[in-house]
Amino acid sequence: MAASDKMSGQGVREFLWNQMPVIALVVLCLIAFILSSRFLSPININNVLMQGAVMTVIAIGMTYVIICGGFDLSVGSVVALSGCITAMVMLEFGIVAGVIAGVAVGAAVGLLNGLIVTKLDVNPFIATLGTMVMFRGATFLITGGRPVVGDEGLPQLFLGFATERVFGIPYLVLFPILVFVIFHWILHRTAYGIRIFATGGNTEAAFLAGINVVKVRTSAYVWCGTLAGVGGVMLCSRLQSGQPTAGVFYELTAIAAVVLGGASLFGGEGKLYKSVVGVFIMVVLANALNLANVHSYWQQVAVGVVIVAAAAADRLRHR
Amino acid sequence: MTGTPLAAAVEISKRFTGTQAIDAVSFDIRAGEVHALIGENGAGKSTLMKILGGVYRADGGEIRVDGTPVQYGSPAEALEAGVVVIPQEMRVVPAQSVAENVLLGQVPVRRRLGILPEIDRAQLRKRAAALIGRLNLNVSVDTPVGALSYAERQLVMIARALGRNARVLVLDEPTASLETREVERLFDVIDNLKREGVGLVYVSHRLDEVERIADRVTVLRDGRKVGEGARGELSQQDMIRLMTGRDLEHDYEEGGSRNPGETLVRDDTLHVRERETVGLAGLLGSGTTDMLLRLYGADAKRGKAGAFDSPAAAIASGIGLVPGERGLGLIMGLTVRENIVLPNLDRLKTTVGLDRKAIDRLVSELIETVDIRPPDPDKPVRELSGGNQQKVIFARWLAGHANVLLLDEPTHGIDVGAKAQIHALMDKFADEGGGIVFASSEMVEVMSVSDSVVAVRDGEVVAWLTRDGDYTERALRDALGG
Repeated sequence: MAASDKMSGQGVREFLWNQMPVIALVVLCLIAFILSSRFLSPININNVLMQGAVMTVIAIGMTYVIICGGFDLSVGSVVALSGCITAMVMLEFGIVAGVIAGVAVGAAVGLLNGLIVTKLDVNPFIATLGTMVMFRGATFLITGGRPVVGDEGLPQLFLGFATERVFGIPYLVLFPILVFVIFHWILHRTAYGIRIFATGGNTEAAFLAGINVVKVRTSAYVWCGTLAGVGGVMLCSRLQSGQPTAGVFYELTAIAAVVLGGASLFGGEGKLYKSVVGVFIMVVLANALNLANVHSYWQQVAVGVVIVAAAAADRLRHR
Repeated sequence: MTGTPLAAAVEISKRFTGTQAIDAVSFDIRAGEVHALIGENGAGKSTLMKILGGVYRADGGEIRVDGTPVQYGSPAEALEAGVVVIPQEMRVVPAQSVAENVLLGQVPVRRRLGILPEIDRAQLRKRAAALIGRLNLNVSVDTPVGALSYAERQLVMIARALGRNARVLVLDEPTASLETREVERLFDVIDNLKREGVGLVYVSHRLDEVERIADRVTVLRDGRKVGEGARGELSQQDMIRLMTGRDLEHDYEEGGSRNPGETLVRDDTLHVRERETVGLAGLLGSGTTDMLLRLYGADAKRGKAGAFDSPAAAIASGIGLVPGERGLGLIMGLTVRENIVLPNLDRLKTTVGLDRKAIDRLVSELIETVDIRPPDPDKPVRELSGGNQQKVIFARWLAGHANVLLLDEPTHGIDVGAKAQIHALMDKFADEGGGIVFASSEMVEVMSVSDSVVAVRDGEVVAWLTRDGDYTERALRDALGG
């Protein structure tokens, strides 16, 4: 009797630990609501969702790379490059070509990252630090440092993606849900998904189990780059232009979100939905501090504290 | 050889969850002697050494230094008491010089203008030179340690211990990775240290070395001390008998009634047939692991051609590997189910995902067949015992209908009951037509499980013994060179 009580007590504690990101988000929302009743106003909710939308898509890709045992610092630069290329191509060749170009450039950078890491055996941190700087520079080069808007602006249909709504919800917010469903299925329900976890958990053991670990690791970077490219297209629509300065610090926010969601930076562990929860912890935190009129400098300090605290709590739990 | 021992373990016991690692073992080291500690894998040697070296705390008994009971709970405190363990893996900083490595953690400091602390380079080089001079190590103290051979690094480690006034040195398999010439140099060093009054513990599998340099020998088996003798009192045969609990010329007829069939796989060193178990016997570091990896296509670096160019290709041809380090066989964070299906995913795919019903059926069947406990497919494998983890890898290859299994030290570090189960699984696999190649450094295990025994030295096959031919333990030991 006593033993079974203890077991269920342990089970509950384990469950609570596992759901910590979700609990943290709920508590955060409650606090935000207590601080300001404006938090639940339709305008503010819309705001939060819009702010989280692009980052959700990027964080999904980042989760793939991190679970696979890698790291990608270049996503912020890819967002800018993809956004600018999307705008430039769109102005010349139309919407479809622009969107394809933006996503393709992200995929290409992802492939480059993957090959540098797997074929040249460069540490992912350094490899993607290099491409991050490289493609930020390239973005400034092709745009001359100026926003890309054209003489008459980008096509209305494209801008409508960020402004139009179905059932009162912007397309920009609905789209990440679709991305999430697809990538959740791939990661948690397919053979390829198991291979990503296995490769990240123990590359050598995965290799000995017959997995082509070079291919799997490279593909994770390609997904990450591709989704950063998609994020760039989304942001381009939202900003109604290609902005060469866009996406600065996005890589850090995305990594922080994935870590807040409990994925291990050593690879092999993580859940996609929790990364999305991590994104919204970051967004809601910033939003709540805004509503409470906390100075933006203090906001940065607070976000930093939360990241360190979450990572430390996770280490304590594993001890 | 009289007087108070420098250090002594008195009736030391240590339990780990589920196993009594050592049970009331007494062991002492006197000044100026070499005391050898021998036993099969899992006999408790490393546990005893780790207790002496302060890594583990004993559950019972006491450690005495110079006759006084001490309580130390960290390697640093053991060091303080003068006991240093030289492990097999060299703890050196490759980028730093010999001098810096020898005096690591006790770099001489001088004060410029009486206040500013600064490393005293001249002192550092002088003291390091004196220490390595005692060991006949003829390298410049400015050489980066990364440029030294394994044997030289080992001497750097010993010099470091001497620099801390170690009086008891524990050498763990010190010759496992040395060439003959280097072994001779190490023996000279050991002789010098003896003369200086240092006490040495010599842990080794190599009985001829033990016979040659040990002043005393203590034999462990299953966590107990089963024998002790001064120089010349125990022959090598006596040692083997004590270590294994069996006589040397045991008859190994138990499993040898199968008729081998067609050759299933071969490369230029190994081959195995249907219904055949081939045992690779070799001392630690003899290269049996590399031979298995090469056959499996996992060792592309070597010039020698393996049968496959990747593990994926080997698996596709029905070969499965059970690696020596369990960490190489399993993904510890994944569940039992995921680890079992990992190499078999392609056959369990549907157009949009995985056939989860088929997976569940397969996994629960296999959990029962190989008897994994607890029988929970959703448990992360890191929470299973060593024996059950080994069964998961087995199940993985049974799931893939492998017809050849390559096993590297399959029973290393698992308890007696699980060991018997693994042997039974191997027997069944071969009975049902499979071929097995397995490597073990336990000679008795190789002899009792295999149909053919291959003696391996330095990565080369030196003898291939079969049951219808010259199949005796003596022949095998001769082939291995003791």
